[in-house]
Amino acid sequence: MNRQAVLPPRPKRSLKSMSKTYGLSLLFLFIFIWSALGTIDKVNWSRVFSMHTIANIDRVIPKLFQPNFDKLDRVLELMFETLFIAFTGSLMAAILAIPLGFLTAKNMMGTSPIGKVVNAICKLLLNAIRTFPEILLALIFVASIGPSPFAGVLAIAIGSTGMLGKLYGEVIETIDMQVVEALEANGANKIQILFYGIIPQIVPEFLSYAIYRFEIDVRASTILGIIGAGGIGTMIVISQQNRNWDEVSLILIVIIVTVTIIDNISAFIRKRLV
Amino acid sequence: MIEYNDVSLVYPNGTKALQNINLTINQGEFVVIVGLSGAGKSTLIRSINRLVTPTAGQLLVDNQDILKLNTKQLRQLRTKVGMIFQHHNLVKRSTVIKNVIAGRLGYTNTLKSILNLYSKQDLQLAYDSLKRVNIEEKVYTRSDQLSGGQQQRVSIARVLTQQPNIILADEPVASLDPPTSHQVMTYLKRVNREDNITTIVNLHFIDMAMEYADRIIGMRDGKIVFDGPASMVNESTFEQIYGRKIRDDDIRGGTTEHEQTSVNPSN
Repeated sequence: MNRQAVLPPRPKRSLKSMSKTYGLSLLFLFIFIWSALGTIDKVNWSRVFSMHTIANIDRVIPKLFQPNFDKLDRVLELMFETLFIAFTGSLMAAILAIPLGFLTAKNMMGTSPIGKVVNAICKLLLNAIRTFPEILLALIFVASIGPSPFAGVLAIAIGSTGMLGKLYGEVIETIDMQVVEALEANGANKIQILFYGIIPQIVPEFLSYAIYRFEIDVRASTILGIIGAGGIGTMIVISQQNRNWDEVSLILIVIIVTVTIIDNISAFIRKRLV
Repeated sequence: MIEYNDVSLVYPNGTKALQNINLTINQGEFVVIVGLSGAGKSTLIRSINRLVTPTAGQLLVDNQDILKLNTKQLRQLRTKVGMIFQHHNLVKRSTVIKNVIAGRLGYTNTLKSILNLYSKQDLQLAYDSLKRVNIEEKVYTRSDQLSGGQQQRVSIARVLTQQPNIILADEPVASLDPPTSHQVMTYLKRVNREDNITTIVNLHFIDMAMEYADRIIGMRDGKIVFDGPASMVNESTFEQIYGRKIRDDDIRGGTTEHEQTSVNPSN
């Protein structure tokens, strides 16, 4: 079948839009090739393909497939610590993010100049928080309150607040404001509107996002120990530095299994919620 | 009694939605306001519970100028003026009874309403309101599981729970099919008759306006261009109000006869 026979001819694209498309494609290609050349230049190829590399791979890889179960007790203990860090941090964030969510939702802040300014400041604050990776936040807290799981909890809590505050704000912005109008029209006051019109609309989404964030936090908190903020990360570093690859192997297996279980439970609960 | 004295409303963007409206509506009347979209029908009825605020004139509800009310007085006014919307505006995730009891919010202490501590009388009133629109068997159903017509009936029940003196209905049947539309209008009319509640309905279907209204008010460009009993109205009146020929989509169709039997088999 000839498409031209069925459909009307395509509208002709202007020279300007064509040159824009091709120009951008060429630019992208140039940047790609340039960066690839730059990287290749820096690699010491004779070292990569030396006997030394092969010997290293031969020593490490097989060990990774032979986990040492002697340390299982210790690994599980630290894994639970990791989960507690993630859970406490997520819980703190889920609560801290609620007021921030309301403050960043345009439809809750009214049209007054003060409302708009507060709204903009809170958005800026959340954006600023989100630019910090958890590991950097953990570094700050370890430096200020010393190496302990609590430093990890704070890092997770602050990092998650950045994301949850933004998501909560977006949930609130998408609620059905006609419901709010209807409640206003039958004489309800602001607090009653909050409890009867707004909260029923947002609770399932809020919970769903909080659980999703917990899922991310479990993964994030596994590496916090690398800089001494508690959890299983501490053991990863120690085992790696002692070249105990069989221990590293066990730790990886435990992390993979735990994260998979948490992901599945979280997906199951969230499907039920919304 | 509702009295518009020279009421005008200009929106911030410069639209003159109401221009020098003078109008008196007596207690217990069933008034249908017709007009094309943008004629000012919604603005006219939303002025009565101050969802919009007129910019000039005097609007009296039971001899009180409602344009001068403060926030608290406004809430008191709104408890006595029920409103029904095109999209029924129920909280979809809440149960029917939770939506209906929301009609008592204006009368209930904030703390009690948050903790769900309603008096027996209030709950009885909510349940009786559901019975009046024949939907009491859905009392614990989540409202998003109801059909469009059932949801609109629940919103009528919510308004009845307010025990209002006035019911405002803004295009209550615009998103319903013909048989359901007649059902909803029949309930509104029945409530109007039984409780002597002043009822003001915005419609653009001319056949429904003629069938249910006591009095028809026609609006165009923010002005009242027709005001008279429904018996005085025919198709040419509507052509004058609309300023154009009557089209198929101005007519809802369907019959009431058939609907009334299915609504209430005992009648």
